[in-house]
Amino acid sequence: MIGVDTVEIAPVINDREMLLSVPVRMTLAEMLRDRLDLFGVKLSCEMQVCGVCTVLVDGQPVSSCTFLAADSDGRRVSTIEGLAEGEQLHPLQQAFVDHFALQCGFCTPGFIMMAKHLLDRTPDPGRDEIVEHLDGNLCRCTGYAPIVEAVLDAAERLRAGPS
Amino acid sequence: MGVLPPFRLLRPRSVAEALGWLNYDRMAYAGGTELLLAMREGLLRPTHLVDLKAIEGLGAVEESADRVSIGALVTHTQAADHPIVRGRLPGLAGVLHRVGNPRVRATGTLVGNLCFAEPRSDVAAALIALGGEVEIASREGCRRMTVGEFVIGPYTTVLAPGELVTGIHIPIRPDVRFVYLKHQTAERPALGVALAVNSHVSLVVGAVGLIPQAFEVGSLSDLDITEVTAQVEVIPDLTGSEEYKRHLVGVYLRRAIGRLEAWQ
Repeated sequence: MIGVDTVEIAPVINDREMLLSVPVRMTLAEMLRDRLDLFGVKLSCEMQVCGVCTVLVDGQPVSSCTFLAADSDGRRVSTIEGLAEGEQLHPLQQAFVDHFALQCGFCTPGFIMMAKHLLDRTPDPGRDEIVEHLDGNLCRCTGYAPIVEAVLDAAERLRAGPS
Repeated sequence: MGVLPPFRLLRPRSVAEALGWLNYDRMAYAGGTELLLAMREGLLRPTHLVDLKAIEGLGAVEESADRVSIGALVTHTQAADHPIVRGRLPGLAGVLHRVGNPRVRATGTLVGNLCFAEPRSDVAAALIALGGEVEIASREGCRRMTVGEFVIGPYTTVLAPGELVTGIHIPIRPDVRFVYLKHQTAERPALGVALAVNSHVSLVVGAVGLIPQAFEVGSLSDLDITEVTAQVEVIPDLTGSEEYKRHLVGVYLRRAIGRLEAWQ
């Protein structure tokens, strides 16, 4: 029989080097949640539409529900768990708290990771850019307005540098 | 365990090696944006995924005197941000920046988009209007055809098992005026209108029917909007009734023509 059904991979997850043996059919979300207890990665639509499972792979946003864990080999994976430094929340996290940019909170990790991708490249985004970038993330509590405010505020805090 | 059905992974190092493995049950895999979803739904049951990502040379964007070539591994984001695409095909770069959402663009490839032949593909409509071609490799050799010839139905292309699309070629026409407008309220557009004008007019109406529909006329003034809206094949669905979609086609076609007439 040709091909493999399991691969050895060495991803860097939230700055930690890992060595894992994973079935090739395992999704990145399954690996992060079931193997590594990173439950900030949520699952909902599982068809790349809702954005709750968003993580960054080498800085690019991916839907971890539809991304093979095998493809994270040798790459840097960032989840919501990697943002805070100890008790110090990341400016995006703090801005979401300050602006009440969440109600039930289920979509929040996806929104924050997607917003991080935007701010990593565009430190001073306009309101329209934020709306367009977050267009593929759904919040069923419909709290979109405070989310946009939070991202604008976080951008300003990040530009101002560490407080 | 697992949401995906079992399969085995193959990682060829060259196109020749990939062609030795590809067949009906062993499917080419790059971004997986559509393939993994189809597998999860049980619509496709490959025994093997032939992962193309380790093949050197398929990830390139290149420019020659008269065309831009985009390799099979190039994602929507990479193409949209590439200096050659932005410089030579700014209209296409604009289309690619608005495909799906940022996650789909970061993982999905242009070639995969065409091979999946989703009827609402922005990329297929735009590339047909721009005269794009696909390069197809097989154990017997290579062949090339237009994207319009390649996509023959919903989720259907002429690609045979064992064949591999290695890249896309798009002609550089410095005098071309191009616009793509879409109407979208959910994750896929209800309508896409691509209009390219140089020595002749190439109009493609996408998303409303089972396949992107091309209309060729001599000049913009020959384009009869009433005729197009009457002739275009329209499938009613959750994004709108037949009457509504025909109306949309007329509105967006008028807007597209307006943009081109105002072109500096």
